[in-house]
Amino acid sequence: MFGSSGSRVLNVINISYIQSRSKRVWVRKPLGSPMAKSKIFRITPKPVLPEDEKAEIKRLFDNYKNSMKSIRHYFFEQSLKQAESGEVAQMKHRLEDQEHERLMEENRLENEKTAMLREERLKIQAEKTQQNVLASLIKKEGEAKLHEIQIEDFLTKQMSTPFIQAENIEKAIEDALANPVNFNFALDLNGYVYRGKDTSIDTIPEEKRERLNSN
Amino acid sequence: MIIMASALPTFTKIAKVIRLNRHGCTNRPFYHIVVQKTKDNQDGPVIEQVGSFDAMPNNKNEKLVALNFERIQYWLSQGAKLSDPVAQLLGLSGFLPNHPRTIIQAWKNRREPPRERKIEAIKGIAPPLDNPKL
Repeated sequence: MFGSSGSRVLNVINISYIQSRSKRVWVRKPLGSPMAKSKIFRITPKPVLPEDEKAEIKRLFDNYKNSMKSIRHYFFEQSLKQAESGEVAQMKHRLEDQEHERLMEENRLENEKTAMLREERLKIQAEKTQQNVLASLIKKEGEAKLHEIQIEDFLTKQMSTPFIQAENIEKAIEDALANPVNFNFALDLNGYVYRGKDTSIDTIPEEKRERLNSN
Repeated sequence: MIIMASALPTFTKIAKVIRLNRHGCTNRPFYHIVVQKTKDNQDGPVIEQVGSFDAMPNNKNEKLVALNFERIQYWLSQGAKLSDPVAQLLGLSGFLPNHPRTIIQAWKNRREPPRERKIEAIKGIAPPLDNPKL
């Protein structure tokens, strides 16, 4: 009835791309249409099951679902195993191994090349460092010698200065007493020295003035 | 014409189902046991046919069922669901455990008297069952 009415909007549910003219298209009742007169006051009898039957049904379904779950899991595992051991997998493994070997070979060659370059570089570096070390050693030796000479000079200088030994002490005392050193002096802006504590400038004539010699 | 769900490019996966596809003629059903996408029609595109089921009993009072267990196992491993009739058939064949519906139907048939049939059971090599409901 609903399929043949042309004016209504047909509520077709599952439409097939492949047209089949022998079958009647399944169409649901239009949504706005009212309830049929034979069905308005219909009260469907609710199916009542006894409790033990319900329990039995539940038990059966629970067991079934449990076993189906485990079976599905088992099939999945089997498929994985099969995938690993099958022909395609073996060929794949073989190809992978070949590829691996090729790459390892390539890597080895590359390593050798870089090793050669590295060897040369290291040789040159070794030479350089050797030369540097030698140069520094020579310099150090030279410096040591210089140092020694300097020390010797210094020692000789020190030794040559007239130290007062135990033998010379009496003579030295007598000499010191005989020649007292007067540190008192004054300087002029013109560069003349006036020695002695109590000398006045007026007493000395201009010619006898000492000139300050900076030793 | 509106395109089928499986023909549209979707980013979500559409689940696959093993179910009965009605072929045959009027008043003479013949089912193909088939792997399809859930969204497709019963007469729509089929991924693989995995068996058949003849609902009409033959000369020897047998309902013939064909099942490709290897392929069914493969599709179950790939996550295909089963419709109830197919699950029942697989349970009866011994591939899977018996579906609860078979057991429930069995005890219901034992309880109630069989309903009247227009077509009589054909007498042949296999004796007609006491309860034609089965």
